[in-house]
Parts: sequence; structure tokens; C-alpha cells
Amino acid sequence: MRAAADRPACVKALVAILGLDSHWRGAVAVVRTLRELGAEVLYLGNQFPEGIAEAALQETADLVCLSTLSGSHGELLPEVMRALEARGVRPIVLVGGAIPPSDVPALRALGVADVFGPGRPLEELRAWVTRRDRVGRDLT
Amino acid sequence: MDSSRSQSLAPYLRDLGFPGAPPYTRGAYPSMYRSRPWTVRPLAGFGTPEDTNRRLRFLRAQGATGLSLTFDYPTLRGYDSDEPEARADAGKGGVAIDCLEDVEVLFDGVPVDEVSVSLVTCNPSMAIVLLAMYVAMAGRRGLPAGRLQGTSQNDFLMETAVTTAPSALPPAAAFRLECDTVEYGVRRLPRWNPISFVGYNLREAGATAVEELAFCLAHARAVLGEMARRGLSVDEVAPRLSFFFSAHRTFFEDIAKYRAARRLWYRMLAQELGATEPRALALRFHVQTSGVTLTAQQPMNNVVRGAYQALAAALGGAQSLHVSGHDEAFGLPTEASARLALRTQQIVQHESGVTETVDPFGGASFLERLTDEVEGRARELVGEIEARRGIVAATESGWVHQRLAASAEAYRAAVADGRLPLVGVNCFTDGDECPPEVFAQPSAAGRQAERLRRVRATRDPARVARALDALDARLAAERNAFEAVREAAEAGATLREIHERFRARYGRWTLPLA
Repeated sequence: MRAAADRPACVKALVAILGLDSHWRGAVAVVRTLRELGAEVLYLGNQFPEGIAEAALQETADLVCLSTLSGSHGELLPEVMRALEARGVRPIVLVGGAIPPSDVPALRALGVADVFGPGRPLEELRAWVTRRDRVGRDLT
Repeated sequence: MDSSRSQSLAPYLRDLGFPGAPPYTRGAYPSMYRSRPWTVRPLAGFGTPEDTNRRLRFLRAQGATGLSLTFDYPTLRGYDSDEPEARADAGKGGVAIDCLEDVEVLFDGVPVDEVSVSLVTCNPSMAIVLLAMYVAMAGRRGLPAGRLQGTSQNDFLMETAVTTAPSALPPAAAFRLECDTVEYGVRRLPRWNPISFVGYNLREAGATAVEELAFCLAHARAVLGEMARRGLSVDEVAPRLSFFFSAHRTFFEDIAKYRAARRLWYRMLAQELGATEPRALALRFHVQTSGVTLTAQQPMNNVVRGAYQALAAALGGAQSLHVSGHDEAFGLPTEASARLALRTQQIVQHESGVTETVDPFGGASFLERLTDEVEGRARELVGEIEARRGIVAATESGWVHQRLAASAEAYRAAVADGRLPLVGVNCFTDGDECPPEVFAQPSAAGRQAERLRRVRATRDPARVARALDALDARLAAERNAFEAVREAAEAGATLREIHERFRARYGRWTLPLA
């Protein structure tokens, strides 16, 4: 992986832990990986849907990465997507954590661009660290 | 015995000795599992108290000899189930508890004076409330608190370093509440361990085996120091301290870690802190097989991992054990995977013969050298923490978080580039990728909201307000808050209402993570 200093940040990313989930190991690993890939990263800790959308608006984030291992993704992610919609911001939303494979189609249908369920290598984040729109078209 | 013979035995007696005798390397008790096998203590908790009560009855019927309760995310962080922030997470990852009535429902039909119960409450600000509710529940059954047996997980590192939340209490405040529960337990609950130093979750967050042990021991020293300030001696307090360690993929290192833990504890207490009481000198611990070592790929392989990790716990002399479910990477265990995990440790306990002997690796040169090494490195790290003015200051500064994150990253990188083989992940990857059936956690918010409405409608609001004000006065005066919390719970105060007094008094702290 190239160090952040090797090239300018091409993507501004927010990383947050969804709701009251308490696991930070994955989210911190995502922060580290995104920085190594050259992204500018803000780590927001635990956030609720409105806070995530507001931060995405204020920070003009290209990428919003949400970590959840609590099992509340089915209830909170629709709220996140609605809150983003209400503010008219359209970042790429990635979700990672303990997401059962059977839940992935529903999350994709909501507009979540990619799901990093258990076992997905973080190196695959590389694909998202270029400026893209929410359907994955390269804007760089 | 002639002098040359006794001289040659001296190093053996100094470093190993006999099980149940100093330095306790070989075991906490003389005959270990030959007279009493480890407690089969599966972990359970999800949905409402009714949901979890059914799982507890199922596990007892399947041969569990102890119980261990997990609590949902809102409960752990002091939210009631009907608050907007809590709705989605209510009943997730553990059982939802909002008030004393919930605890009565949760343990309905469980003889709490006969079965030992571990309350995996994690955070001191929550542990004090749950144990107070537990004592109050027993009181309503007519049971004196002195007959309750079990353990509270009550560890400020869980609150401020291992787990994250929208807002945590500052480390010193969490440590103070932790010590209030410890003090109450030592003075009033003779069969209860009011603290369990959480090595397991440190390891899950990334710690190495040496860090796991050293952070726990440095923390225990801090508690003993605070208890001395409160007028309780090491001999009074230490017998009531318990430990919770991980059984990770490092089979031999973990066995060495358990042995080193006992010896280092003995040496610290006897040689540095002047303890003499045998119960104070023998470290006792619970083990959980590591969740983080379990893979999403080829998930049935995890059954095998659980089995050898359980064997490590037995070979290291654990007092109780939980085996993680093979579906851990995806969610909470289904009833079937919970039973398979239970059967796994029952097979190790009843079929393998491991309970017929004590410390079978004692004297094996590799294991003894590894035990020496783990002890030496852990002792050194405890010294470094002391040099940082102790575990509370080392947490406030973010040093603990940095250590955990750096070790977690080293492990991740080693798996990612294949230096650390992980079957099904970076080698032998052909195979059935079929994900297991995932347990659908029932939602608890609606059902809990109903009970909360009823409780709020029937309680005496003036009594609740008086009790909460009395609690605040205890906090302000830096007096032990436990009894005041119990009185508030008995008056019908909810978890949130009690927790709010902690937040108002101590403020909020953000974990220095990234």
C-alpha cells in the first residue's frame, strides 16, 4: 500500500460506528487502511443516523463508512439513507461488520454501495478510494 | 531429606511447587478437577428478559452448571429501551434491562442461591446498577444478599478502552464506581466476586497474551491500592477478585499464560503487598474461547477451534469456561450452535480424561520456559504501567488504546499477508462457503416500552426523586454509592434515570481512538 504522503488525498471519508454498537477494532482498522490508501479520514466514533448525515453534509464527504456488529443495521441503515436523502447529499455509503450474507441484498437495495461482511479483506477498500459517484462511476 | 537433595529441589519448589500451594503455578486447588470439575458456564442474553429466561432454562436443562448473562447495548451504556437512541439496539447482543422488574423476570425460576451467576455487565456504571437490582431481586424473594453466589464483570477498562459508546464516563469516574461495587461486595456479599478483570475482551480488541495479563494485573494492583485507602486489607479484598482470560489460537502460550498468571499474582501479593491469606494468594479465573479467532469462511471449522481452545483452558486450570459458538462471526448463537458449544466443553470435560490429572504439562521444559517468559514479560509491562502512574492514568492518556490498536493491526497484517496461517482464510480456502443459519435477534423495544409504561405509572414519583437525589448526594460527597443505587432501583427508578446522575456528576469522555 502507498503511504498517505505519496499522493494527495483523492477522497474524503467519514468513518463512524453505527448507533450504540461497542466494537471499535474494525472501524479503527478501516481508518488506518483508508489513510494508507491516501484518503483524508475523519473518525466520528458512535453516531446516530441524523448525526451521520449532518456530518456528511458539513464535511462534504465522498465516502461514508459505517461499522456495525450489533445487529441493528436493518433498522438504522434505512434511517441513515433517508437522512442523507433529506439533506440532498449523496456520498458513497459502505457498511462493514457482522452483516449476515442474507441481509446484503436489502442493504444494496437501500443504496449501500458495498458491504464488508465478515471475512472481506480490508484491502478491497482500495476500489473505493477514488472519487466515484454512488453507482460506482469513476469521477476522477 | 539430606541437604544436597533439598538444594536440588529448591528451584522446583520456588517456581512450581504443588497444586494448591505457593506459588500456585500448577493450580489454585490441590486436587483441581479430580474433586471439582470446572463450571460449565455458557453465555446467554438477547431480546427481552422473557426471551433470555427461556434460553437460561434451556441451557440448564442441557447440563450447564453455571450461568452467564450478557446485556444489550443500550443497557450497557445506560439507556432505557424506549429512548430514541436505544430503539434499534434494544435486545441486541444481550438482554434488555430497564428496571428491577426486568431482573425479576430474567431470573424467574432460577435458584439464585444455588446456581452461580455471572453478570457480564462490562462497565462499572452499569455493573453497580445491575448488581444492586440483583440484590434487590433476591431481597424480594426473601433471600439474604449473603447467599448470592457469582461474579460481576465490573471493569473500567471495558467502559473506557475496550468498548466504545456515544459517551463514556471518564476513566477515573468509572474506576471510582467500580471500586464502590468492589467495596460493597467485600463488606456485604461473602459469596460474590464483585469484579472480574477482563483480559478476554482486551485480547479480543487486539492485545497480545502478555498485554492481556499485564493490564489485568496492573488493574488489580490499582484496585487493591484504592481498597487499602478505604480501609480494607489485601487479605480481605484479594480473595474476592476474579479474572477472565481468553483462550486464543496460541494453544501453548495460553496455557503458559494461565500458569504465569497464578505465579505472578502470588509473587506480587505475597512478596510485594504482604498478603498471607491462602485464598488471597491463589488466582482464580474464567475462560472464554476466542471469538475473534473464529472465521466467516468455512464456519464449521470453528467447532474445532473451540474444542482445542477449551482444552487449553482445562490444561491451564480454569475455574469456569464458555465456548463461543461457531457462528460467532455472523451474530449471536442459535439454540443449536449454543448447544454444540456446550457439548464441546462437555466432551472435553467428560470424555477426554483431562479432569483426571492436574497440570499435566508441569515440568515439561518447553511449557516451563514459556511460562517463565510470559511471566517475565508481563512483569516488565506491569512495571511500565506503574511508571505511567498506573492503569487509570495510562488509560486517560490514550496509551492503553494505542497499545491495543497497534497489536490489533499487527495481527491483521500478519493474517492479510499470510505470515499467520488461518485455515479457510489464507490457506486451504477451497471448501463449503455456505453461511450458517444466522440467529434472528428478537426486537425488544416494543415489549420493554410496555413494561416501562406500567412501571412508571405505578411507582411513587416522590420516592424515586428522593432516592435519586440521595444518590447524587453520595456521589458528591465521594461516599460509596451502592446502597443508594439499590434504594433507587427498589423505588422503581430506571437504569437511565440512575445512569443520568452519573453522567451529570462526571461528564462525558471520548475514547482517544483514531
